[in-house]
Amino acid sequence: MKQIVELKVNGEVYILEIDHHRTLLEVLRENLGLTGAKDGCGKGDCGHCTVLIDGEPVYSCLTLALEEHGKDILTIEGLAEGEKLHPIQQAFVDYGAIQCGVCTPGMILSAKSLLDKKPYPTEDEIKEAISGNLCRCTGYVKIIEAIKEAARMRGG
Amino acid sequence: MFVRGFNALGERKVKYWRRLSKFEYLAPQSIQEVCSLLERENGNAKVMAGGTVLLARWKERLGITPYLIGLKKVSNLDYITFDEVVGLKIGALATHRIISNSPLIRKRFEILAVVCGGLGSPQIRNMGTIGGNLCCRFPSAETIPPLIALGAEVKIVKSDGERTIPVEGLSKEPLMTELLTEVRVPLPSSRSGGAYLKYTIREAIDYPTVNVGVVLTLDSQKCKDIKIVIGAAGPFPFRAKKAESIVKANFLNEKVISDASQAAWEEASPLSDMYFSADYKKELIKVLTKRAIKQAWNKAEKT
Repeated sequence: MKQIVELKVNGEVYILEIDHHRTLLEVLRENLGLTGAKDGCGKGDCGHCTVLIDGEPVYSCLTLALEEHGKDILTIEGLAEGEKLHPIQQAFVDYGAIQCGVCTPGMILSAKSLLDKKPYPTEDEIKEAISGNLCRCTGYVKIIEAIKEAARMRGG
Repeated sequence: MFVRGFNALGERKVKYWRRLSKFEYLAPQSIQEVCSLLERENGNAKVMAGGTVLLARWKERLGITPYLIGLKKVSNLDYITFDEVVGLKIGALATHRIISNSPLIRKRFEILAVVCGGLGSPQIRNMGTIGGNLCCRFPSAETIPPLIALGAEVKIVKSDGERTIPVEGLSKEPLMTELLTEVRVPLPSSRSGGAYLKYTIREAIDYPTVNVGVVLTLDSQKCKDIKIVIGAAGPFPFRAKKAESIVKANFLNEKVISDASQAAWEEASPLSDMYFSADYKKELIKVLTKRAIKQAWNKAEKT
């Protein structure tokens, strides 16, 4: 069964005809070519598919695309302005918080959601905000430092 | 393409697919419509709230039905209301995040805010709902022990009527053509305190290996009432009634609490899994029960 759905992603509206059983992750990657969100585990255990919906992080692998009609979806591709990286992205680069990069889009989006709500987070609040995003490479220390730096850069 | 991995219950080499199989999605806009769809399809349709459990299960091809009834267009199912007579009413679609952020619930039903603020991960808490957690049939479902300990009830609706049952009774309900719409928590007694403790392998994401919810009411220094609910140690969280009877109507001291936790150890029959033996889980239950009773007591004393 197909349905016409209007998805607002990174500020742009896309009108798509999609099957009912497609997840948001599949539609972002395959219909819209936004491959920042990754299919890590496919079942809500790793966070690599994290996107922001109305500012809040969700697992797009467990979200049906047609249910997000009309919502505001932000993916990692929506952060940079042309060549200029978002402060959180820049901090991740500067602090060595990226190794293989698989967890990075989800991590940055979870961090963004935190900093948009709590500009001066404690270390515990940062850890809690990224607790749904697993990293197999870095051991998290650099990621946490990068998020602290991003908070400082934003005046926090 | 399918994957062989672990599932939520720690079962190894479970086969699951990256993509869902085909289904037709229905989007009713009222509870009545949901009920008539469920009844018309009579087992060929399931409802989905947040989707964190159902879609993961459907990727394992478990419990698939040709129709999926999304609840997101049903208006006004995510409310939190309170009055001093009836107590708390939470709509089944209230997310864990809404519940844990509610100043009212944090103040008057703290144990519920603690549970809903700590389960899963931020993403799960944004997506998952209290109704879904109650109906998901995971023995480790985290909202269930505190809700049973608080004496909560749920409202279940079908086309021709509704009924209210205690949360404990949910294990016996097939809920195939009915919808759970509301959770009701009575006003806690004055001088009562609650505690919820769990053991998870990692601090977030993991389902609890074991979990315990305790609500204790004091009458001066004696325990007037206590409910001790143990999860992940049987098909559904259960009240450790022997443990409760040791504490109830007694003065609280080290020995009473220790004996109660020993009784909880005896009453619990968890299963061994990939990570822990049943014996180890029983030890965890004993320790967590002891700590939870003490914490609940401390909280009650402070009221």
